[in-house]
Amino acid sequence: MILDIIIDGLIKGSVYALLAIGFSLVLGVARIINIAHTALYMTAAYLIFVGTKLMGLPAPLAMVASIVLTVILGLLIYNFFIKPIQEHEAAVLIATIAVAMMIQEVFLMIFGGHYLGVNPLIDGYATILGVKVTYQHLLALGLALVVLVATRMFLQKTRLGLAIRSTAQDREVANLMGMNVTRVAMGTMAVSVGMAAITGAIVVPLVTVEPTMWMHPLIMMLAIVVLGGLGSIEGSFVGAFILGFAESLVVFLVPMGSFLKDSVALSIMILVLLIRPEGLFGVSFEEER
Amino acid sequence: MLLEVANLTVSYDKAMLINDLSMSVDEGELVSLVGPNGAGKTTLLRAVTGLVAWEKMTLRGTAGGDVTLKGRISFDGKAIEKAPAHEIVRMGLVHCPERRRPFRELSVIENLMAGAYLHPDKAQTQADLEMVYKLFPVLAKRTRQVSGTLSGGEQQMLAVGRALMSRPKLLCIDEPSTGLAPLMRQEVFNKIQQIKDMGITILLVEQEVATVFKMATRNYVLSSGKIIAQGKGEDLLEDEVIRKTYLGL
Repeated sequence: MILDIIIDGLIKGSVYALLAIGFSLVLGVARIINIAHTALYMTAAYLIFVGTKLMGLPAPLAMVASIVLTVILGLLIYNFFIKPIQEHEAAVLIATIAVAMMIQEVFLMIFGGHYLGVNPLIDGYATILGVKVTYQHLLALGLALVVLVATRMFLQKTRLGLAIRSTAQDREVANLMGMNVTRVAMGTMAVSVGMAAITGAIVVPLVTVEPTMWMHPLIMMLAIVVLGGLGSIEGSFVGAFILGFAESLVVFLVPMGSFLKDSVALSIMILVLLIRPEGLFGVSFEEER
Repeated sequence: MLLEVANLTVSYDKAMLINDLSMSVDEGELVSLVGPNGAGKTTLLRAVTGLVAWEKMTLRGTAGGDVTLKGRISFDGKAIEKAPAHEIVRMGLVHCPERRRPFRELSVIENLMAGAYLHPDKAQTQADLEMVYKLFPVLAKRTRQVSGTLSGGEQQMLAVGRALMSRPKLLCIDEPSTGLAPLMRQEVFNKIQQIKDMGITILLVEQEVATVFKMATRNYVLSSGKIIAQGKGEDLLEDEVIRKTYLGL
């Protein structure tokens, strides 16, 4: 039981961390609250289903293709629905909700409300300390950790990473460094959607694919970024593991209690905010002028 | 002329902040812009380095986006009034902004490397970095420190150092001494003099008129978006009206 909770909590935590960090990046750099973020995660999952089950492509190829296509879709959405209204925060919020609903309805029209699934990449299980853990779970955990480390390296060591972090702190001064902030925002969007798509690709064998599968991760992700402190990447990371483990504990320890997982996550968020209104790693956005 | 501004007008909404202003900076000069608060000194720098145009473009469709920008600005013989801010930096017109504005959560070295963003050639950037560390030894001691935890004076050194990493031909510095202790102010002015002696042209906005007039080759006195006097420091100080009304001396 304890090992189950640890493995499950680690997977949930790293999956939520990937989603929340991607969401935070765009929020920090372009001030976009992208509600459609997890709808794009769902898109990647559906595309893998199409690739492997309907077209019979090999799984790795389907994963790569779905990630690329999802990023392209994300950039199109950014260009046509978000960029023209980028400075109107409320309008961006409404537009991205609309986009998320559109994506949901499109999948509902095409595939109906059926619960679909994708075969695991590898079958079988390992026995760790007497507990059976499927290889697929271990693979998902490993991949998620690799992507998290790669994201950190990218932000710390590359030129675009430096531009993203600078722009997130002060868009205007980033201009003065010669950074094309419009292009940095575009690059950040691509990275962010890419992370959502990779997350979808990693977890798709572990979850059921259906048109509302974006809702629960969305609620968790929003709770995490508020809990961790809006715009803080460390905060998103820590918050993700707190709520990931909380969710596992509820699912494993409360009999028939998995319906409680959202309310437990949100309660933790509210409790933390009562004590620290700016979130765990809260940074107030620098006023711009 | 390195920088030439002709008939520049800038208004935000209905407020005219710069009113048909012309000025210029020649190579090798240290030119100062002085004048009371709200005279338009900062707006002039922001217009020259493309920030006003950027703001207009970014905020279009919102209340803040109602900006008009008219007139001609040329740098190094090229018209730049329509160029985006990030292209203007590339030409060597570099702006060290008001209130220093370091990237607060980035370390000192990361801030400096952000300044070198346009210059991926490692060897020259390394040489620039050594030059900045030589000019501001305090930064060399704190490379890994998060810049938001530096003192005000150190943040100003960092802001100027970061601007130097962009390889300026003309360096515009906005109110470097504001909010610093008197000793630190003098230190900052000494550094600016040293930068000028390195052959970098400087356009300096300051409130500290007495010190600036001693350093500058020429000065412009701004009020209500217009240049009301220009010339050498000692000549401007002889004019009683200017001294009392606009410089508060």
